[in-house]
Amino acid sequence: MTMWLLPILGLIIGVLVGSAVTFQIPLIYVKYMSIAVLASLDSVLGGIRSITESHFDGAVLLTGFFTNALLAALLAYLGDRLGVDLYYAAVFAFGVRLFHNLAAIRHQLLLQYRTKKNEQKR
Amino acid sequence: MKRKWVIPITLVCIISGFFLSFQLKVLANNNNTNPLSQKNTNLVMIINDLEEEIKNQENIIEKIRNDLSGLENRPIPGELQELQNQLKDARIVAGLTPVVGKGIIITIDDNKEGLKTNPNDDPNKYIVHYEHILNIVSELRVGNAEAISINGQRLITSSEIRCVGNVILINTTRIAPPFEITAIGSPKHLAEIVTNGELDIMQSLNYPITLQEADEVIIPAYKSGLQFRYAKPVKEAK
Repeated sequence: MTMWLLPILGLIIGVLVGSAVTFQIPLIYVKYMSIAVLASLDSVLGGIRSITESHFDGAVLLTGFFTNALLAALLAYLGDRLGVDLYYAAVFAFGVRLFHNLAAIRHQLLLQYRTKKNEQKR
Repeated sequence: MKRKWVIPITLVCIISGFFLSFQLKVLANNNNTNPLSQKNTNLVMIINDLEEEIKNQENIIEKIRNDLSGLENRPIPGELQELQNQLKDARIVAGLTPVVGKGIIITIDDNKEGLKTNPNDDPNKYIVHYEHILNIVSELRVGNAEAISINGQRLITSSEIRCVGNVILINTTRIAPPFEITAIGSPKHLAEIVTNGELDIMQSLNYPITLQEADEVIIPAYKSGLQFRYAKPVKEAK
């Protein structure tokens, strides 16, 4: 379990850095920023899921992380220019994926836990 | 177990954490849950731009007025001098020149302490309303105040004191508490009239109030332009 310390430490460092910066983005862009946040959270959960399902690929995770966050924010912005509320589509898509990933992680962990227990019994 | 995933996940976690707290901070700083907030910020930006523009134009007016008074102050022979003096007097009466003299300075502020101790009470009972200012100004005028300004805004015949949401408009400029009302006139007389009127009422409601008699107060000139588009003098019958 010690290998999980580094990502958690990273999360804490990120939070600290984020709360320490005094830089402010204009209020109008907060909406798009929130999509980027959602996308990045989705990427983290997706990464953890792929670890539990043991088909993790660092390149896939990193590229997915940046393109998802950036493209989602850009698309939402473009949607606003065009008068289409793509913002809600992005929130919905990432929201669904988030919960889906969460469920998959839980399933996998439960599965691993049970197989371990069965092995111990034998 | 292979550990090749630790570094990428850590990287992603750092950035996610950064985004997360950054976004939280931005939203916490602007805890405006109003769904119209985006529209509001646009309107606020427009208002700010226009106020900036007004300020610029007022500066231009002031510059032109200064040039004008420079020209007027040149020595002029004969009859014109008389007219010149009349014009100066008219300017002072109209409020287009800064004036100095004996007077009083009143400051009033929202009753923040009262609101803090009774947070569930109606906040309207604790803030300074435009009526308070209006009443004080009326009383000062009864007391023959010759010039009045509020937070640097000279009151002239066309000045309004109007409530717009949580600020007060005077000379179409937004002013906010604490309010400083300056008046030129007999200090004793003015002080007496306001302390027996509106200030007494406000004092009993625990508003923070100060009143100061001064030997020299300066009241600025009216900054905007004066324009009569509709009113014309009545032709006198010969």
